[in-house]
Amino acid sequence: MGSVDLLSLVQSGFTGETVLACLEVSKMQGWVRTTRYLAIISKSGSSAFFVLTSTRVPPISPADVSVEGIVPIDSNFKFELDTETQHEDGHDLYLSVSSNKSKLLFEMMPSSKSNAFVGELYKAVDNVVRKSGPLEYNWLNRYPPVIRHDCSDNGLKEEVQDSVVDSPDSLSLPRESIAKGSTPIAARESVIRYMMSKKEDQYMYKQSFRIFVGTWNVNGQSPTADLTEWLSCDVDPPDIYAIGFQELDLSTEAFLFNDTPRENEWYKAVVSGLHNGAKYTRVKLVRLVGMMLVVFVQEKLRQYVTGVACDTVGTGIMGKMGNKGGVGVRLDFHSTSICFVNAHLAAHVEEYERRNQDYRDIYSRMCFSSHHPPKTIKDHDHIYWLGDLNYRITEIDPKYVKDCVERDSFQKVLEYDQLIKQCRAQTVFVGFKEGSITFKPTYKYDTGTDNWDSSEKNRAPAWCDRILWKGESIEQIEYRSHPFLKISDHKPVSSLFDAKVRIIDAVKYRKIHEEVMKKLDKLENEFLPQVTVETTEITFDTVQFLVPQSKNLIIANTGQVPVKFEFIKKLDDPYYCKDWLNIEPYLGDVIPGEKCEVKVEVRVDKKSAYKLNSGQDQLYDILVLHLEGGKDIFITVSGNYERSCFGTSLETLASIKEPIREISLGSIIDKEKKKDSFSSGEGTYAVPKEVWFLVDHLYRHGTKAKHLFVQPGLHSEIYDIRDWLDNGSQESLPGSVYSVAEALLLLFESCPEPVIPYEMHTACLNCASNFMQCKQIIQGLTYHRKNVFIYLCSFLRELLSHSDDNGLDTKTLAALFGGIFMRDKPVPRDVSKPRSSQQQLDRKKSIFIYHFLVNDYPDLLPPLVSS
Amino acid sequence: MSGGPYSYSYIFKYIIIGDMGVGKSCLLHQFTEKKFMADCPHTIGVEFGTRIIEVSGQKIKLQIWDTAGQERFRAVTRSYYRGAAGALMVYDITRRSTYNHLSSWLTDTRNLTNPSTVIFLIGNKCDLDGQRDVTYEEAKQFAEENGLMFVEASAKTGERVEEAFLETAKKIFQSIQDGRLDLNAAESGVQHKPSQTGRTTLSNDQQPNKDTCSC
Repeated sequence: MGSVDLLSLVQSGFTGETVLACLEVSKMQGWVRTTRYLAIISKSGSSAFFVLTSTRVPPISPADVSVEGIVPIDSNFKFELDTETQHEDGHDLYLSVSSNKSKLLFEMMPSSKSNAFVGELYKAVDNVVRKSGPLEYNWLNRYPPVIRHDCSDNGLKEEVQDSVVDSPDSLSLPRESIAKGSTPIAARESVIRYMMSKKEDQYMYKQSFRIFVGTWNVNGQSPTADLTEWLSCDVDPPDIYAIGFQELDLSTEAFLFNDTPRENEWYKAVVSGLHNGAKYTRVKLVRLVGMMLVVFVQEKLRQYVTGVACDTVGTGIMGKMGNKGGVGVRLDFHSTSICFVNAHLAAHVEEYERRNQDYRDIYSRMCFSSHHPPKTIKDHDHIYWLGDLNYRITEIDPKYVKDCVERDSFQKVLEYDQLIKQCRAQTVFVGFKEGSITFKPTYKYDTGTDNWDSSEKNRAPAWCDRILWKGESIEQIEYRSHPFLKISDHKPVSSLFDAKVRIIDAVKYRKIHEEVMKKLDKLENEFLPQVTVETTEITFDTVQFLVPQSKNLIIANTGQVPVKFEFIKKLDDPYYCKDWLNIEPYLGDVIPGEKCEVKVEVRVDKKSAYKLNSGQDQLYDILVLHLEGGKDIFITVSGNYERSCFGTSLETLASIKEPIREISLGSIIDKEKKKDSFSSGEGTYAVPKEVWFLVDHLYRHGTKAKHLFVQPGLHSEIYDIRDWLDNGSQESLPGSVYSVAEALLLLFESCPEPVIPYEMHTACLNCASNFMQCKQIIQGLTYHRKNVFIYLCSFLRELLSHSDDNGLDTKTLAALFGGIFMRDKPVPRDVSKPRSSQQQLDRKKSIFIYHFLVNDYPDLLPPLVSS
Repeated sequence: MSGGPYSYSYIFKYIIIGDMGVGKSCLLHQFTEKKFMADCPHTIGVEFGTRIIEVSGQKIKLQIWDTAGQERFRAVTRSYYRGAAGALMVYDITRRSTYNHLSSWLTDTRNLTNPSTVIFLIGNKCDLDGQRDVTYEEAKQFAEENGLMFVEASAKTGERVEEAFLETAKKIFQSIQDGRLDLNAAESGVQHKPSQTGRTTLSNDQQPNKDTCSC
């Protein structure tokens, strides 16, 4: 959705108001980032900053959008762009918006859209500064007050603030994403900044400092007087001096070229006039034509002054010349930002509107651009505004004024003071304070005297020279003039302030910062996935061939975050567990407080039996239970495998005369190693006795059984047959002929190699259609294999001779035993073969066997008995 | 800001190895939580811990893998060496056998990590000096002969635990600065988070989505 659409969509939700700009952002609220839409909405000349939510992202209809909060764009409205982050990060731009104590932080994507939005915001703020007369925000009242970040004392401010600075501890999910590092680092930083600012009281304290602010219009005179009377009239030395002059030099030279010898003269006079109770060092001197401002700080405090910058604004002829305007010095003292502005506003009795305008120009145009982002006057905690502001006493008889001030009854006269009147009307110095005036007007005197100006103009004396301030924790101690200094037609004015400055206790700060970092580290560790398992040792007692056994492993999520678990492969292993193991499920999710039951099943089948019988493997495996983004747990699975003739090579079986269980494991391993040496058949049975027992049983009892080999047996009977073969018994072979037939197939299936070894399969398949060649291959088999093959084929032919009874046919048996005698190599668990090629293979195998079921081959018959 | 005091620009992977019961998990716990874990059960698997530290003004996130020490898990824990930038090899100064096995742990480390992996030898439980079974000098000599860094530390008192983890990081950081450690190699055990982006991959992935849905 384009921004134009968004704008028109939002606009359609606001009738009677104009939506100037709209932008999608992320609201940063403690740990949380949530999508919001910001809008600048205006009506009747004023505008407000709206925070909107949407039920759908992006919103599709105006009904999706609702107002979450409103901040009127008035003189309390401040916003700041965190461009430093943008610079470093390349991605994010943080917009912090504040009004009184409410503070909101948004993250936005830098783009032309965000630029346009910020541009509109600048305009709206500028509008407030430029507008004369109070702005009207009543149109905001139609919105519920609870969502207004209002400056009026309606008692709801705190409530609003609470929702803005919600306790991060009550929010669980985003914490997790912070902890997992899946949130941008910038967010983690903002969390730290946020946490640090919340703990400000613990490492910040306030300390009061004495600030001397002085202003004097010197009417182009040289400093021929001693200034101590003005600058050092107090008992205690101030900590900071901010001294401003106007009309330092009235010459054309100074006006045109901004160059004057007076600067140095007055500077020297000031230095020698500073309080001798302390040593001072100059922080900054700034001058524009006749306006000069110099700031000193006690030498011992200089180290706490940082970020010093200055700027000048000319508001004179053509709005830029420097005969009128302001000069400013800003600095950070400990952790409080302070701005001093020395202004000389428009002259002439009736020109108060121009003075107001000059003020607004200075206020909005003065910019300390060495800071990133640049700071303006309003971006300071403490602002001191001094100078020849030139506001007069009008609408009253000058003689009456003089009479009143002679009697020190200033109050009546001050009623007619333009500055006081304009301030009341909120057209100028909004938010600034001025102490009550208890000194005589400072203008205009006959130079060198305390007499009122005796020229024909007969103007009313006025308090042109004023000192105002803005900011919290500032207390004015003195506000006075210094009439003994007579070299100018103005008298100097000074004010003493006790200003409380925020100081970071470095030790405490480090401690708290470390705590915050530790807390985050701890959180990060706490928020690692955690599970417990009942046991890390799963032991099976006796495991028998083909008999499955299972145990449950319970994985309980004991941590604070959802866990994704998975059994993972070990280094160089093809699979996460051994052949004889099965884990169900092998991966899954568990939410905190929940459990997951994992079934661990052991089943030694035809594929895995040989390795266990031959000692190549044992019933022992270490499983790695991996938690995504967290630790691994090792689960050991073990058991005792009961060895069996199933899964033993034909050669070894033929060489054992006793039941296999009566032979030690060691001797089986030994025989398996040496099985090639039995190929001559010496000292062994011609066919394994197990094969013989099974075939003989079928020969005697099963030739007429319907669908022998096709009809499956019973598991339990097969287990009994296995035990009978493994242990030996005097009893007759248990189970039905069907179970015996299946056991026979299984015996071949579980051999490490099929009767016709793997390496001969290709040859067999290539000559499958040629009986002569097939015979040659069989002729080439080793002793026991050839015997077994011919023995089995003979038995099958016997079976086929009873086909009337058992219903068997040659093709079926050829296909079945083709698959048995020429069993394919086992494939890894997760690989499946293409079906079509498998069918072709199976057909050829079947053809190969078919020959031996329908033809005679007396030439192949071996001497069956060797022992 | 992101170049500021709180972000981290690197992730270093550490492994802690050594015989069972030498105190590997306790060292990790002491380092991440600044606490001694009195009844620490045997680690059956690989524990995982993380902490952000500062080296030369750079914030570095340590990802520490604490491996099971039991001999029977040895084959499995070998999987975890790969890609470690630092290996903390721990023995117990009160049990000579744990010291005697160091050469076998060292062989594994050398075989399974890359040549720039920093190996730090820690003789743990130095608070139990009375029961000492391995002298400082011989271990120091072993370390020197094999080019390892070495301290005796105590996970119980916390003594020199920080030092071991931090010195390892310093050495790794030095290798990066000297260009001896190739950050692009998958197995360097170091991930660099360029400050230009300063973001995790996940949020980078999200970036285009956000663009498309708001345009």
